[in-house]
Amino acid sequence: MTDIDVIAHQHTPEVPLIDQGAPAKVRVRKRGRITKWLAIGWLVFITISAIGANSLPYISHSCPGGSTTNCSTALVGDILSKRELPPTWATWATPLNKTLPGKATHAGLMGTDSNGRDLFARAMLGARNSLLIAGLAITFGLAIGTFLGMVAGYFRGWVDTVIDNLTNVMLAFPALLLAIFLVTFFNKPDTAESAAPRPLWPIILALVILSIPPLTRLVRANTIAYAQRDFVVAARSLGAKGSRILFREILPNIVPTLLSFALTGMALLIVAEGALAFLGLSVEVPIPTWGAMISAGSERLRAGVWWISLMPALVMFLTLLAINLLGDVLAQRFNRREAIG
Amino acid sequence: MSPHSAHTAHSIQAASRQLEGPLLEVTDLRTHFRTERGLVRSVDGVSFTLDRGRSLGIVGESGSGKTVLSRSIMGLLPKRNTERSGSVKFEGREVIDLPLADRRKIWGREMSMIFQDPMTSLNPVMRIGKQIGEGLRLHLGMSKEDARATSLHLLREVRIPEPEKRLDQYAFELSGGMRQRVMIALAMSCGPTLLFADEPTTALDVTVQAQILELIGVQKRERNMSLILVTHDLGVVAGHTDDIMVMYGGRMVEKAPTNVLFASMKMPYTEALLKSIPKIEDPSHTRLSVIPGRPPDLVNPPPGCSFAPRCSFAQDRCRTEVPPLITAEHPDHVYACWYPVGSPSHRARTAELAAAMSGAH
Repeated sequence: MTDIDVIAHQHTPEVPLIDQGAPAKVRVRKRGRITKWLAIGWLVFITISAIGANSLPYISHSCPGGSTTNCSTALVGDILSKRELPPTWATWATPLNKTLPGKATHAGLMGTDSNGRDLFARAMLGARNSLLIAGLAITFGLAIGTFLGMVAGYFRGWVDTVIDNLTNVMLAFPALLLAIFLVTFFNKPDTAESAAPRPLWPIILALVILSIPPLTRLVRANTIAYAQRDFVVAARSLGAKGSRILFREILPNIVPTLLSFALTGMALLIVAEGALAFLGLSVEVPIPTWGAMISAGSERLRAGVWWISLMPALVMFLTLLAINLLGDVLAQRFNRREAIG
Repeated sequence: MSPHSAHTAHSIQAASRQLEGPLLEVTDLRTHFRTERGLVRSVDGVSFTLDRGRSLGIVGESGSGKTVLSRSIMGLLPKRNTERSGSVKFEGREVIDLPLADRRKIWGREMSMIFQDPMTSLNPVMRIGKQIGEGLRLHLGMSKEDARATSLHLLREVRIPEPEKRLDQYAFELSGGMRQRVMIALAMSCGPTLLFADEPTTALDVTVQAQILELIGVQKRERNMSLILVTHDLGVVAGHTDDIMVMYGGRMVEKAPTNVLFASMKMPYTEALLKSIPKIEDPSHTRLSVIPGRPPDLVNPPPGCSFAPRCSFAQDRCRTEVPPLITAEHPDHVYACWYPVGSPSHRARTAELAAAMSGAH
């Protein structure tokens, strides 16, 4: 049978060429589908690891005695013999204790830190506080920023003047400086002998305050744009109240913008927390944050022990990349330009 | 049956209200906007009355103040930087300085508005059924189910195909004509006595325009509403309104019953507007006459008649003295012009112009 025969055969009369019923689904190849799922996959993995670290075998297995507590607290004893072991795949890296006979020379997916704790387990544990701090901060920042922005953008007048000027003042401050100031202000000063574990809330509060002004601006600008749209005037002309217009007409329209911005904001806050931790200003709870881990390893960089800093940095980098990719996907999904007459 | 009973209850209530006198009485309404350039006199002393069940067409170019006039009557303009004076009486009650809460009660139930662009006047993220239902639940206190049933009924009345399906669709899933039908259903939902239609067909396809105007007309008759139809197209109002008011530079320059206006228009501006509509009986490639110049600056209006700078018939008096409203032969026909169409000086000037035209050729 020739090719032509095959083609002709496919168009048999039993199969109608035009389906009269539901239109056939058209498959459209979309760009970046694999990266999207990789990003989602990584975020799911990191979130599950962060929440369930204590009971997840791939994490607790790496810790001495199979308990993640041993990966978070400072340890003594035989563990020390395992300190600063390079990752197993980094065969070229020379371990510190290579001279000791009969001891392991490489350990784990990411190596060990200066206390002999497994870095992979610590990085997964570190996700817990890093994500918690950034997530809570962006949530509160969104709630407050959206409220302020909508009120300012819809009611205008003196409320707008006050909120807008405050926002401008806050934005004029160098962000990191402001964060350092806020964290120092909220934290009780450390006394020389007792470095009491610092609570989470000062850093969260500082990041919330940091995230409010840009969000307020964004929401305000969007609200102003939507408040002048005809459908809002139409709702008003049908007797809708201010609060109803704000929450039923305007808010649903700006939520998509907010969602994609929230992800970018969260990535920025993870970095901000890292920067603060690097300066020794973040939390010092038993479970580290990524920033604190990078900071701890930085002292050993010159000695050629690169993995202590680099491994948590890699995890942080991948997480930020995933969040930003997902933000892009959301922005593309929602940034539909409608016909504006 | 419950949605219908709600409607009936409402119309009984409407019937028990004061029925004598005009529905709407606007006296010397002025609406000025404070801007950095100065005071923009968008509406500058407009007076008219509208009886129950009657329809009025407001015609004018962009910037003539027709849209501001309709929004000002409804009280929809933002308070900031707006100066409003004069009187707007609705069913004999002064509504111009009502507090916002009382105005809200009027909006939707007594007066409602259809907007120019159905692409933007529906909320893009709210289902059609919900948008119509909102007003019903708010104003008429309907339950969710009743509101949905009434919405369906309304969609059927505005002759939307497959109304059940439309209830759960979003605005972007509908065509422009269908959206405008939804907008009409929305404006009609709480049974208003006065409907404003602000250029309801401008954004639509020519083939759909006639259908929409027809629909508005049918709804007006069936519900015994009064209608104010704002447009820049004399052709649109010609077949659809009882009276026509021509606005220019924020003022009313001519008002008459539709047939009287077309039979004996007095204002050169009205005449020029009519001439700028293409006529089917003209031979093809006939040059369409246009009105030269631009609408007047509403911050610094010219002294005298505001149309004088663009008027072919203007004389010295037109440039210094504002013409008052003069009643024509028909008692309901008023116009503001020193040298109206048909007057000796107008006729002389027309002959002069015709001579100049033929001389040029």
